[in-house]
Amino acid sequence: MNSSGKRKSMSPDEESRESNEEESPLLTSQIPASDDESGASEESEDEGSGSDESSSQDEDDVGEDTSDDSDSDDESDNDAGYDTASVEKDKSAADPGTTESSVNGKDEYEYDSSDEEDVRNTIGNIPVNWYDDYDHIGYDVEGNKLIKPKQGDALDEFLEKVDDPNYWRTVRNKFTGQKVILSEEDLKQIQRIQSSTHPGGSDDLYAPWVDFFSNEVMEMPVTGRPPDKRSFIPSKWEKQRVGQMVHALKMGWMKPRGEIRKAKLSHDPNAPSLDLWKDDTESDITKRYRMHIPAPKEPLPGHAESYNPPEEYLFDEEEEAKWDGQEPEERRMDFKPAKFSSYRAVPKFEKFINERFHRLLDLYMAARQRKMKMNVNPEDLIPKRPDKKDLQPYPTREGMIYKGHKDMVRTISPDPTGQWLASGSDDATVKVWEIATSRCMKTIPMVGKVTCVVWSPNPAVNLLAATVESDVILINPNVGDKLVCSNTDSTLESYVESATTSEHKSPVTWSTASEADHKKGVRLKIEHQQEITHFNWHAKGDYFATVQRGSKGQAVLIHQLSRRQTQAPFSKPKGLVQRVMFHPVHPYFFVATQQHIRILLDHFVLEVFFVQANCKYISCIDIHPGGDNLIIGSYDSRLCWFDLDLSTKPYQTLKYHKKALRQVTYHKHYPLFASASDDGAVIVSHGKVYTDQLLNPLIVTVKILRGHKTTNHLSVLDCKFHPTQPWVFSSGADSTIRLFV
Amino acid sequence: MASEASLGSTSHVQAKFFTKQTEYSIPDVPYSLPISVSPKELNDIVHSVLYEGDGEKTASFDFLINGELLRSTLEVYLEDKDISIESVLEIEYIERQAAPRPEASLSHDDWISSVRGNNNLILCGCYDNTIKLWSRDGQCLTTIPGHSGPVKCVTWLRSTGDEEDEHLFASGSHDQSAFVWRWKASKKEIDCLYAFRGHSGSVDCIAANADGERVVTGSWDKTIKLWTADNNSTEQKETEDSETLQQAKKLKSGGHKMVTRVPLLTVGGHKEAVSAAVWLDDSTVCSASWDHTMRVWDMTRAEQTQIVEGSKAFFQIAHSRLSNLIVSASADRHVRLHDLRTKEMKGTYTSHAGWVSGVDWSKTDEHLFVSGSHDCLMKLWDTRSPKAPLYNMIGQEEKILAVDWSIPDLMLSGGADNQLKMFNYKG
Repeated sequence: MNSSGKRKSMSPDEESRESNEEESPLLTSQIPASDDESGASEESEDEGSGSDESSSQDEDDVGEDTSDDSDSDDESDNDAGYDTASVEKDKSAADPGTTESSVNGKDEYEYDSSDEEDVRNTIGNIPVNWYDDYDHIGYDVEGNKLIKPKQGDALDEFLEKVDDPNYWRTVRNKFTGQKVILSEEDLKQIQRIQSSTHPGGSDDLYAPWVDFFSNEVMEMPVTGRPPDKRSFIPSKWEKQRVGQMVHALKMGWMKPRGEIRKAKLSHDPNAPSLDLWKDDTESDITKRYRMHIPAPKEPLPGHAESYNPPEEYLFDEEEEAKWDGQEPEERRMDFKPAKFSSYRAVPKFEKFINERFHRLLDLYMAARQRKMKMNVNPEDLIPKRPDKKDLQPYPTREGMIYKGHKDMVRTISPDPTGQWLASGSDDATVKVWEIATSRCMKTIPMVGKVTCVVWSPNPAVNLLAATVESDVILINPNVGDKLVCSNTDSTLESYVESATTSEHKSPVTWSTASEADHKKGVRLKIEHQQEITHFNWHAKGDYFATVQRGSKGQAVLIHQLSRRQTQAPFSKPKGLVQRVMFHPVHPYFFVATQQHIRILLDHFVLEVFFVQANCKYISCIDIHPGGDNLIIGSYDSRLCWFDLDLSTKPYQTLKYHKKALRQVTYHKHYPLFASASDDGAVIVSHGKVYTDQLLNPLIVTVKILRGHKTTNHLSVLDCKFHPTQPWVFSSGADSTIRLFV
Repeated sequence: MASEASLGSTSHVQAKFFTKQTEYSIPDVPYSLPISVSPKELNDIVHSVLYEGDGEKTASFDFLINGELLRSTLEVYLEDKDISIESVLEIEYIERQAAPRPEASLSHDDWISSVRGNNNLILCGCYDNTIKLWSRDGQCLTTIPGHSGPVKCVTWLRSTGDEEDEHLFASGSHDQSAFVWRWKASKKEIDCLYAFRGHSGSVDCIAANADGERVVTGSWDKTIKLWTADNNSTEQKETEDSETLQQAKKLKSGGHKMVTRVPLLTVGGHKEAVSAAVWLDDSTVCSASWDHTMRVWDMTRAEQTQIVEGSKAFFQIAHSRLSNLIVSASADRHVRLHDLRTKEMKGTYTSHAGWVSGVDWSKTDEHLFVSGSHDCLMKLWDTRSPKAPLYNMIGQEEKILAVDWSIPDLMLSGGADNQLKMFNYKG
């Protein structure tokens, strides 16, 4: 404005331009009237400053239309300085005439016509290097080539460098190819820009900010445009971005700046880590974030909540009365469905605060528990069952029927070689069968019902023990090896009665058979006082044990064949003795009473083991040939397997039978055991005992064999395995013996 | 293929017929047959080509595809074998044998445990300790008491003497001994030549080699013993080890004037009773046992050369000199076919409902064998037809314990109903 006075070398055209432009800032800077006035007053006071604060301020505010402002004051004009800066930045081809004092002026205006407003390269804002390969640098307004000014060679350059004191501030205008010497002011401005200060060198950087477009509603707003919606809606994208950043912060992917700095300061990558035991688990915050439990969702509103519910949802009078009469806790729903003509007519939800409060209370108070769900296939929990095919051989079907008895066959016993089968029946006979053909080889008549037949396990003798009522009868059936048969007879005959037998009264009477009986095969008879319920051999075949019914003190008797002696080991057995057995290997004696099994050692005094059977009434027991396992059958249709090494409790209880068990038996060689029951079934199970102590027995029931008919509630009375083949014999109340193979 | 076949009876398959029996050969022309065709219709087709309207249609035929007898319709067979109907079937046809004809039923006093035929004589071992000798036409020639236990096995040794009228045979029994007998047909005289003593269990099987001079017995005592039935080798006795000698002497019964012989050789290896033994050739014996194995023994070197594991206890085996195969009867319903040259079983023949107690090969046809079972049936099998037997022979009313097909046109079965059934078979 008043800087015109300072202009020394102003070309006339610029003069006119300035006069034009004198008004333009005024036009644009009408609005800040007060500031302008104050600025004007300042100007009037201080003319020498030469800087128009308000105008420069205006130009800043209004825009960049001052780029070709032609305030060309060399020394102090801010605007001019601004211009040179723009030249520096190659923003535009600034007016060369005003700001640059040409090195060789005549070049520039060689063809210049004075009335032209500007001598310009008209190529526009394109990279100048496109013209690198041409002699011209562009075109003037008339389309004539602007020839590149002559460039000096390296020697000229050097000479200039040496001679010209202004060489260091000489730059080349790319658009014209002219050399321009920067003025002091230019240099200062460059320095200011380099030091990131205000390029104009303004002293008052902290002038009060005039917020023209403020949030305040102005009486006279700059624009009459209504505010944008987005100006009062929080930005969705910002929110998302912030959310991402928060997430990144929580997960530790992103770190706050302060923390980074701290980490940089504290953590020297070269320093060795001293904290060896540092917990390298994730931090609490990320853990909490990962363990985040979402709040339970509120149920979605249903038809009843609708403002226009179907009729059936609306309360009738009765329901309404009921609803009104109920305590709030008892109500089925905590509101009354109501119908409104339109959505508009829905009143305010009165209990909104209340409801929200309860919801928040719920969220706050309800302990949210993270349920650790285990994805376990239920089939994996079941122990692996071996395939039945792998457990073969085991009996699968009926192979043979031994017919001949006339009454129920109570007891059977295969001989140790596996060629013969002895059976005792209620028809008072003992029969010996050839197993392979079911041929009855011998029939030995008895005086009463035969309750037990057992072959002697001693392979050197051929002796069959049968119990008939209160007698034990030892029979030589005279089948099999003749040598063995004759040996049997000779050993029995070789016994000489010693004189010292009558120390105390024997509970039984031993007697040799009469001549007639001898022909039939009977060799010895041991008369008991009571009916014999059970008989069992010792594994060596010299001792055998009998159980008498009733007589308390002499319920269990142990007999020795070689010395023909009998003793009653228990003066008072605890409970009613059901079965007795000798351990196959060790000198143990098993006594099964109704509910317990006692295992006794050392002349039947020391009780080594006491097995608590889990059943009401033991009916039969058998010991595994290995001696460490025991199965018992009970009248309450259970079969219990005991691992004597493991526990006094059953290792496994099988309840496959429907009725009382009559017999359980192990196979001598194959891992099989069988049980016979009143329900007519013989159940064969695979029971493998491992020599490895760590492995528990494997028990798999493999086959249910049926064949016997039920008569008088009795069906299968006995079952025994073949000594060598995987075959099982069963005898039944239907007076047959069946072989399952 | 299956769906195609089931679409309708319109599916056809190309087939060529051929035969090895030259008298029945027909031109080698492929025929298009509906796949629902059964062997009976195939038979008609062959007839129509073969006789071309001539009256006498004497022979009927069985049909073989890939060495297996066709017993069902072609459709079922093709589906079973998964053969495409696109392919040309090569159907071989053979003359069908007439069904065996029941001939006679010979009554015994007790169960028959073993049967063996030889030319015109039939030998039966019985549970009443006797051996019965029958002629081919059903006459009881003699009843031989002698054993003190049920006779378990009999076998023919050889025919000797002038005019071949002296027949030697052997029998084994529960009384742990085996006897060699001589039957003089002209004089109707029976002699006991030798007693083989040494087993400590019942003698369950006995077999003679081709010239009838060597006999093996298998026993419940798990051993196999080799004996000689040679006339002039009585000095053998002294060379045996003393223990068996003593035992033999001890058991020697004084009643008979026969010579007691001790075994030439005892081989043991079976873990259970030996139930069957057959000679494979002059020096090799195959034995089967309850321990689920068959073992092959070289008798000249007295050692086991081979062992074949089975899955069940063996009851009976039979060896065919024609096909060199062995069929076995064991404690289940199956008849099994073994080839000792390979480890695997060659086939299983399942149709019986009870234990199979006896098997025997045909002496003239390498494909045929019979089996007798506890289900009272004797079945005639063709090795090429594993699913169904050729014929079931009904007649026995109780368990069959022994079958025999030593006489080529006579199949014999004996069992627990005391009857010996004879079936005539025109081979």
